This record gives sequence, structure tokens and C-alpha cells, in this order.
Amino acid sequence: MRRTVPVVIAFLSGFVMLVSFFFNPDRSILGRIESEVLSWVSIVAGFSMLLGVVSIVGVNWRVVRDRREGWGYKAITLVAVFVMAIPAMLPVSWSPLFGDGSGSIYDWLFQNLSATMMGTMFAMLAFYIASAAYRAFRARNAEATILLLTAILVMLWRIPMGEAFLRLFSDKLPDIINTYVMNGVNLAVQRGIIIGAALGAASMSLRIMLGIERTYMGRG
Amino acid sequence: MNFWDRIATVERRWVYLMVALAVIFPLIVPAHFPVQISPEARQLYDAVEALPDSCNVMLTFDYYPSTLAETEPMSIAALHHLFRKNCKIVTMTTIPLGGPSIAERVTRKMAAEYGKIYGVDYVNLGYKYNYVAVLKGMGTSIESIYPTDNSGTPLSELPLMQHVKNYKDIKFIFVVSDNVIVDYWISIVNAEYGIPVGCGATAVMAPKFYSYVGSGQMTGLLGGMKGAAEYEQLVNHPGLAVKGMGIQSLVHLLIIGLVIVGNLGYFLGSGRRKAKQL
Amino acid sequence: MRLSTRSIRPISAGFIAFPWVCGSVYAQSTDSSVFRSDRLNALVLILLFSIVVLVYTRWARQGKPLFIRKIPGLDAVEEAVGRATEMGRPVLYIPGIQELDEIQTIAGVSILGRVARITAQYETPLVVPVRYPLVLAAGQEAVQQAYTEMGKRDAYQPDMVRYVAGEQFAFTATVNGIMTRDHPAANLFMGYFAAEALLLAETGNAAGSIQIAGTAQPEQLPFFIASCDYTLMGEELFAASAYLSHEPLMLGGLKGQDFMKIILVTVILLGVILATLGWWPDFISWFKEV
Repeated sequence: MRRTVPVVIAFLSGFVMLVSFFFNPDRSILGRIESEVLSWVSIVAGFSMLLGVVSIVGVNWRVVRDRREGWGYKAITLVAVFVMAIPAMLPVSWSPLFGDGSGSIYDWLFQNLSATMMGTMFAMLAFYIASAAYRAFRARNAEATILLLTAILVMLWRIPMGEAFLRLFSDKLPDIINTYVMNGVNLAVQRGIIIGAALGAASMSLRIMLGIERTYMGRG
Repeated sequence: MNFWDRIATVERRWVYLMVALAVIFPLIVPAHFPVQISPEARQLYDAVEALPDSCNVMLTFDYYPSTLAETEPMSIAALHHLFRKNCKIVTMTTIPLGGPSIAERVTRKMAAEYGKIYGVDYVNLGYKYNYVAVLKGMGTSIESIYPTDNSGTPLSELPLMQHVKNYKDIKFIFVVSDNVIVDYWISIVNAEYGIPVGCGATAVMAPKFYSYVGSGQMTGLLGGMKGAAEYEQLVNHPGLAVKGMGIQSLVHLLIIGLVIVGNLGYFLGSGRRKAKQL
Repeated sequence: MRLSTRSIRPISAGFIAFPWVCGSVYAQSTDSSVFRSDRLNALVLILLFSIVVLVYTRWARQGKPLFIRKIPGLDAVEEAVGRATEMGRPVLYIPGIQELDEIQTIAGVSILGRVARITAQYETPLVVPVRYPLVLAAGQEAVQQAYTEMGKRDAYQPDMVRYVAGEQFAFTATVNGIMTRDHPAANLFMGYFAAEALLLAETGNAAGSIQIAGTAQPEQLPFFIASCDYTLMGEELFAASAYLSHEPLMLGGLKGQDFMKIILVTVILLGVILATLGWWPDFISWFKEV
């Protein structure tokens, strides 16, 4: 039972969603099943947040309790979890500082701490791409050389002075890069990878539906 | 270790320092460069320009606060264009973290500039969970997905929403995004309902969407800060993106320089010889 | 329980007939289209795909030898875990940053189960930070089962798989912290990744870890290729679980998928020729809409 029921549920769920795709939601109940099931997913995901909170509190609390290395940072993590979550869950009618609307503690912490830290982390990409490019773009072989030259051309093409520089060689050079590199090679490769990935995903989905692939549920 | 070997193995921290200086310098000594308009940006601009004045348009704020530098200038330029044409704008977002507040802040600021009235000229629907259900549901009825707007006002009390019931009442969808939600706008909305979709995306995502422009599923594309700068130039409101071109130019040139220097060190130092021996 | 190919036939017939009957019963109008005929092309493709995969799966079950090309990244997984064991350092595994409803995450968790068998065998510490609670539950189940099947149930600890943060960059910052403090010897990134791909891979590179990445996001592949030792591209991620298991049934599915690709390439070439010559426009219009 413990092995069979999850596989049957997986098959029926996939099968129903697949069938629902081919039926008109305005004309058939089968067409409406998909949106109904998507709503169920939202509800399950909401309850699953409790799991996440238990895990994050458990892992960090054990480090704080045992005063292991880095316990101070774990303590800050725990404080942050509750300081953001508790005021957001309290009703706005008690105080305008509660809830998650504009002017609340949650909103202030999000705009002034979380959003700025998110921007900072994203900005670090600029530094990391520079070091990755410097380290990885070496003309070791023919493919690496093509990669290197294409990267340089595209980086020049994406900046105004680079475009001006390319036009010194030919007025049409930026358009050639746009047409043959971005709309030619890049487009073809993107489509090839997308088609391959889609086929792989479809194959994996079929294996899951038929119960051939069960590792994701902890069964080899 | 000779000079060329040293050139080929510069430590990360010096690379980071050079990038930091390349970012800071144009802020102190700003420089303006004329931005050439790409065919994809021109296509998007022409598509919006060809819309009938006062038509209904949906503008999405499908991006996180982390990518504001690239995406907010696109949204602002789009609002300049749409408000100038007196289009009625319905905004929404599929991003829970920061999306609604960004949409609220940007649209209200731009609306004040053009003297637009909330509820009449523009509405902010906000965020609802499960973007697939949201995108599909709005095809039938926007009110079934968003009974109220972002502020909690019932849609039945907003004059604009009396004329915009579902996708059939919308002439164009301008998606500004930093994630794969664009795939769903194309596969669900454009494919099923035939609404033209134009897109502004981050520079990392943009190469993927050329395939949609090529197949005609997407009407125009803005890629990264350069795309935002192009659109700002087209709508005659140069802003943060045009200013940012100086920084982007210097950093790109720095990276190209580092790559060239690294290769010189590789070829003239002992790195290539060691690789051949292996 | 595995659904055998024999039992699929009546089910296949059923799934065509039964919904049609139900759909007809609930149709609101006699002349309205219950069935989306504009999606007929997708239905034909799905049926063809299913048949091809089932045929190859059946052949695999009958013991026919199936050739699968080498995927260096997957061959390196065991080597990477072995390296971690020798160095006495953990293996860091990230099954992507998306929810469990993303197929790449399911692929990532499947591969996690395979990798966990290897870490159980070598008794190598395993660290699996996740971004969503459902992925946490699935990951814990996969790792626990792997350790149990390898007879190392006592070595399994629930904290091996831990929920670290729900926000993308908070998750990235936490994982970067794990990399710089714990110095894992091997980093495996398998699943859906977005902007944090380069942040994770470059930090791992700086920490001196051997890195194997796999994703079906084309826009993140260049970053992984630049920073990782091995990269699985697109469908190789979905093939990984089958490849690592060496099970004939799973390999049969892979072969079916490859055959389908041959069909698609043939159709594309045919379409190019027909479009160039201006013949048979109906053939191309059949693929225009889904």
C-alpha cells in the first residue's frame, strides 16, 4: 500500500492534468479541473510553510543552544524570523504597525533591509562575472576561442562606445552581430536547448506517471 | 613566476577592486553616449505607438527589487509612452516580494506627473498567488482573480474596470520581467488569446526571448539596461538607464581588457606550455 | 508498483474514450467544441512520444542492449564524492531553487537520491540546503531512503537536508556562507537556477571545490560552464537519474526521448525544405498554434 498508493496518485494527477489540457473549460468540467487542482496546490503549499519554519528554527536553535561556532549569527537569524513574521501576522486593527501593508514593521524591514540586501547580492554578479570571465575565457582550443571572440563582440555591441567602435570597421557590423549572432546562432541554440529540455521534461514526467521513476518520493 | 604568469593569475580581490573603480568613476565623472536603437526595441516602440489612443493596456511589474536598476527604467519609459497616448493602464504583478509596492510607487509617481486619476486612468491590481491560475483566470474574468485592487477597493467601484473585464478588452500587454514568467505570458496569454505581448527583460534573460521575437510570438524586446536606455531615448525621456550606460560601458571595457590580458598571460607565460604537456 | 506496458494499452484506450464521453455529457451546447481541436497537433505529438518511450522501455525490459553515450559530468559524480571522502570534507548538493512543482526540482531530488547512495556508501557528510518546505520534505525522504537501502540508516541525520531561506538571495547568501565556512570538497548544483547560479558557482570555485552543475535554464548555462568543472545541459539533467541508476527501464525511456528528437529534427528539416520551396503550406500551419 505504502508503495502503490503514491504511484497511483502520481499517475492519476498527471493523467487528469494532461486530459484537462485538451478540453474547453467553458464547455466541459474536464477543462476546469486544471485550474481547480492548481488551487489545491496553493493550499498545500501554504500549509507546507510550517515545515519550513520548524526546520529553520530547529537547525539554528540547536547551534545556539550548544554554543557551537557561529552561534551568534544563528541567533540573529532566529530573531529576524520572528521579528518579521509576528508583526505581519497580527491584525492591522490593533495597530497600523502590524500587518504587511504600507507603513507596517514588516514593510519597513522589507523595503529598508531586505530589498536593499537583495539589490546588493544581485549587484555582486558584476564582480563575479568579471572574475569568471577573466579566469575562464582563455583560448585553450578552437571552441574556447570562438566563445571568447563572440563574448567580446557581444560585450562591445551592448555598449554605445563599443557600437561606435564597431562602426569604424563597418556601418553594418552592429546589425550583422544582431542578425547573425543574436538572431542567428543564439536563437538557434536557445531553441535547441529548449526543445531538448522540454523533451527531457516530458520523458521524466512520463516516467513519473508510469511509476518507473520513484526516487523523488524516496523509493529507488 | 615571470611577469606574464603574474598577469594570467591576478587575484580575485584586485579584479573586484578594478570593477568597483569602474563603477564609481562614471558616477563622479558622468559621460553621455548616444544610444543606437536596436530593431527589437524599435519594434516594441512602434507597436505601442500604433495602438489607438485611450485603449486599454496591461503593464506588468514582474520583477524583484534586486533587478530594479535594469527593469524600473523600462517601466518608467513604458508609462511615459502609455500615459502620453492617454492609454488606460491596468497594472499587476506575479512577484509577491516587493512587486505590489514597486508597482504602486512607480505608477503613482508617473500618474502624478501626467495628472492621471486612479481608478479612471489606471488601476493597480496587485499580486495573487499561483501565477498560472492568475494568467489563465484573467482570460475569463479579471474580477474572479482580483475581486479587489491592491488597496482593497472592489473592482466594481473602479470606473476603468467596468470596461476591462478580461483579456478581450485589452489591446496590448507590456511585460517587464526578470524571470521566466515571460514564457507563461507567451504560452498562455499570447498563444490562447492572441493578445500582442511586448517584453522588457534583464540582460541575462533577453537572449532566450529572441526566439519568441523571431517566431512572432513577442512584439519587440528590451534587453537589460541598454534596452531600457533605447526605450528612454525613443520616448524622449532619458533617465537612469541612459545615465547608467556610462557605467556599463566602462565595466564592459574593463572585462574585455581583463580577458585580453589574461590571454596574453596565458600564451606568453608558462600556462599554455603546461597545458600542452598535460 | 510499476505500470507495465501491457496494462498501458487498455488505459490508453480508456483515456481517449472516457474523457470524450464525460466531456460530451457535460457539454453546454450541441454545436460547441468540447474538445480543443486547435490542440490536436499537441495530442498527436504526446501520443507519438508516449508510444515511442513505451516501445523502448519494453525493449529494455526484454534485455535488448541500449547504447547511451558517456556524460562526463555524471561519471565525475562518484569521483567528486570520493574526493570529498579523502579530504574529509562534506558534499554540498543543491536541488535547484524552485518549488517541487517544477520538473527540474523533481529531477534534482531524484539525482539527490542517487548521490545520497554514494555518500552513504563512502560515509561522506552530505549537506543539502533547500529553499522550499515541500522540497525539504521530499529531499529528506529521498536521502533517508538512500541511506536505509545502503544499510547506513544510523548515519542519516534529518539536518542533512535543511530549509535555509525562502528568498532567492537570502538562500544564496546562506549557501555562500556554508561554502566559505565548511569548504565542501564537492558542490553539485542540479535543478532550476536563476541569477544566483554565478554567485554560487563562483563562490564554490573560490573555495576550491570540484563543481558539477546541471540545469535546463539556457540563460544560466554560460555561467555554470564558466565556473564549474562539469555542466549538464538541458536534457542531460533529466537523463541523469536514469544514467546513474543504470536501470534498463529508465534507460529505455531515455532512448525513446532520443528517438523522438530524431523525429522532430526530421520534421524541422522537412519544414525548412517545404517553406523554402513554397510547397504544402498546410504542413507548416499545422505547427503554428497549440
